[in-house]
Amino acid sequence: MAMPDFNATTDALISLAERAGAVDRVVWEAAAELLFPAVPEGLAVLAAGGYGRRQLFPFSDVDLLLLCRNEEVPRENKPAISAFLQELWDSGLRVSQSVRTPAECLEVHDHNIELNISLLDQRFLAGDRPLFAGLSKKFPRFVQSNRDALMRNLVRLTRERHGKYADTFYHLEPNVKETPGGLRDYQFVHWMEQLRDADANRVTSPEAPPELQQAFRFLARLRISLHAQAGRDQNVLTFDAQDSLADSSEGKDTARWMREYYRQSRTVSRAALRSLEAWDAQSSALFAQFVGWRSRLSNADFAVHRERVHFRIPQQLESDPDVVLRLFEFVARHGIRPSSEAVNQMEPRLGRLRDHFAEPRNLWPAINQILSLNFAPLAVRSMHETGVLFALFPDLEQIECLVVRDFYHRYTVDEHTLVAMQNACSAPAGYGEILQELPRRGALLFALLFHDAGKAASDPARGYEGHVDASLRVAELAMQRIQMPPQDRDLVSFLIRSHLELSSAIRSRDLSDPKTIHDVAQIVGTEERLKALTVLTYADISAVNPGAMTPWRSEQLWQLYLKVSRELTRELAAERIAETSAGPAAELIEGLPVRYLRTHSEAEIAEHVALEERSRTRGAAVDVRSLESAWQLTVITGDRPGLFARMAGTLAGFGMNILRAEAFSNSRGQVLDTFVFADPSRTLELNASEVDRLRSTAERVILGKVEVLDLLRNRPRPKPPSRRVRVPATIRFDSEASATATLVEIVAYDRPGLLYDLASAISSRGGNIEIVLIDTQAHRAIDVFYVTVDGKKLSADQQTAMGEVLHQACGAV
Amino acid sequence: MKKIEAIVQPFKLDEVKEALQAIGVEGMTISEVRGHGRQKGHKEVYRGQEYTVDLLPKVKIELVVPDGRVDEVTRTVVEAARTGKIGDGKIFVLDVVEAIRIRNDDRGESVL
Repeated sequence: MAMPDFNATTDALISLAERAGAVDRVVWEAAAELLFPAVPEGLAVLAAGGYGRRQLFPFSDVDLLLLCRNEEVPRENKPAISAFLQELWDSGLRVSQSVRTPAECLEVHDHNIELNISLLDQRFLAGDRPLFAGLSKKFPRFVQSNRDALMRNLVRLTRERHGKYADTFYHLEPNVKETPGGLRDYQFVHWMEQLRDADANRVTSPEAPPELQQAFRFLARLRISLHAQAGRDQNVLTFDAQDSLADSSEGKDTARWMREYYRQSRTVSRAALRSLEAWDAQSSALFAQFVGWRSRLSNADFAVHRERVHFRIPQQLESDPDVVLRLFEFVARHGIRPSSEAVNQMEPRLGRLRDHFAEPRNLWPAINQILSLNFAPLAVRSMHETGVLFALFPDLEQIECLVVRDFYHRYTVDEHTLVAMQNACSAPAGYGEILQELPRRGALLFALLFHDAGKAASDPARGYEGHVDASLRVAELAMQRIQMPPQDRDLVSFLIRSHLELSSAIRSRDLSDPKTIHDVAQIVGTEERLKALTVLTYADISAVNPGAMTPWRSEQLWQLYLKVSRELTRELAAERIAETSAGPAAELIEGLPVRYLRTHSEAEIAEHVALEERSRTRGAAVDVRSLESAWQLTVITGDRPGLFARMAGTLAGFGMNILRAEAFSNSRGQVLDTFVFADPSRTLELNASEVDRLRSTAERVILGKVEVLDLLRNRPRPKPPSRRVRVPATIRFDSEASATATLVEIVAYDRPGLLYDLASAISSRGGNIEIVLIDTQAHRAIDVFYVTVDGKKLSADQQTAMGEVLHQACGAV
Repeated sequence: MKKIEAIVQPFKLDEVKEALQAIGVEGMTISEVRGHGRQKGHKEVYRGQEYTVDLLPKVKIELVVPDGRVDEVTRTVVEAARTGKIGDGKIFVLDVVEAIRIRNDDRGESVL
């Protein structure tokens, strides 16, 4: 199946005009023979729409307007008009005619705005010329005085059309006329300019910028050849059509050919979006007020004007290219897109930006910041649109406009990636909640950005086998270059490597079989990873096409998450590190939960061994160190009653907020407690001596030389939370989850000192804390304690008593 | 002609489809459904909140075959979908009065 027309058509505009000219002649002849002998005056035949502007596609409708002096004319001359139209149909034209008086042409038709718009392109063909002259004299004033209504209706139609195509031009089988970025959008831009510029005397026809004209010519050539091939008004660029077009192109590469299509379509789409935005900006008074308020967000680097971000000093792009990262951080923070000017200022410098970012250096904090903020998906989308994303990560260019051809995928790979990031951040109900609880959202989004990056390097014919490994390679190079710390890197690699595991478990494994759950738990290893992988899987599946994440499938994924989460909780108490190779580490780690090995690197284990050695002489050893954005305190000592509560209290006494904590004991009765905490008043950072004081105070508290209550006495009590963010505390006891202890799960509004109060409450009822896992996210503390009383699980009475004191502790402010 | 409706475990769908294709059955309709038979639901607890899962996810496969193939097809489905545990699902066989191909109005078994 060859489609020579695409390449043979050197200039689409000439072909279209020739077609219009040929139709003109048919209309003239038919009118001269059948119409005007009967109606010598009072009737004019006009060309409208695409035909009117001499852009008539081979099988498009031929829009004719029969302009009649009054309503009598068509009534009295019905036979002649019918014979005329019949003749046109018989000559093979698909005529779409309307019969109007000049007055009807000069009123706004809210329900048929197409009629008003088609008149923008009116052209006299034959008949009563003075009648036409009368209309064309009045038409500009009509447009001028009804400008707003016409534009509003046109914008509404365009938005509705875009909505039908999910507001994206990255469709695998796009409709070259109707999809965003299609021919209709080009016309939309043109009409909006005509409407905007019209004055009382004339409706002008402004010339489009060269790149837009070029895109139009490309799309027009394409539509001509689709028509020629189908023999009818067929505008969908089907897979078959793509193949045959590529076949007759240089290189015969369909993927490459389609990229060219998307690039041209993107030019049109952007112009249409700019036009829509310009309309929004001028149309609403409320919007203007809001925009004024938003402009207060401006800072030293950026100004916000009309809901767009501008560079204050564009020359900064030369002297300080990292300003582009700050620009997208601004976008990610406030949800405001870069202005067209900013985009135009960056564009010529993309090559230099690419060189600038190519040098390996520590870019992760800046990128992580962008990816961790609320509007991260919008920021990445703008980076993609402006090309900055490819300057930063050139390897991602491989998936730009890359087509995946199967029945399920609706978008190109890059669009799928962007939609997936969007879905992750707007995930509903349960999924949204676990996203909130994720400590490293930046790493999750980074993994999503790269999860399909290897698709270009794998074979579509073999189901993209190997794309996971290829994506992993691309991501690893990128992570190395931006110097991502090992912890985040591990998470990203894990997520990319495993991004199909959960969906494949749902598809092919029995979720009610404990073996399935155990296997998945082995793959994910920790609760944190499970949460990140669950959100990623949700986002990935729902970005395949709008209907892919059915409620049915979403439930399956959620069930899998719950079951694996429970398995990991059970395993925490039940599965201990048993056989270890001999060596200094063996004595320390034997008997710790297997989780310990999954969450600690060899270097960290070696440090714990050294700490344990130090603890031998003094009975306890404490290490305090600064992490990237928080601090960490590690304790090793023999087990003592109330130890965990006292450590939590010590940190509260120093004004620290505990973010995460773990407490484990090994076979020899040694306790390893780890606290990750924030230092809100930067005491430790600004006073090096305070770090030593915290360390020695902690040791003295452990050894009983200092009372925690004395430390806490002088701390100001925190203010109660505002009602809006308050989380009702839930406390749940579970004696089934673990073989040896009762699990106490507490979700409560977080506040300084909460952990100390909870742990003290447990100790006050004789509870011994065996294992602790603490996490906090966005005002919420999620605490899991494994508690025994006298070495046994809690009885029902003990649970009730402990529940009461814990409820008091949650509410105690 | 008979219509065969098989309700099977979701994770068995691929196996059942492959087994049917292997004996030359190409056309089928598949839907994601929920339900329960004797395999009743159970309670779940998440973050302290309890909720009942009483309708379990299943997949429904519908196909229409000539009378002579019913045994072979149902046997194939049973073999591919069976795990031996509760919840494996059910197969129902129904009489079909007529089959019509919409494109050209063909009727009868030739449509299948």
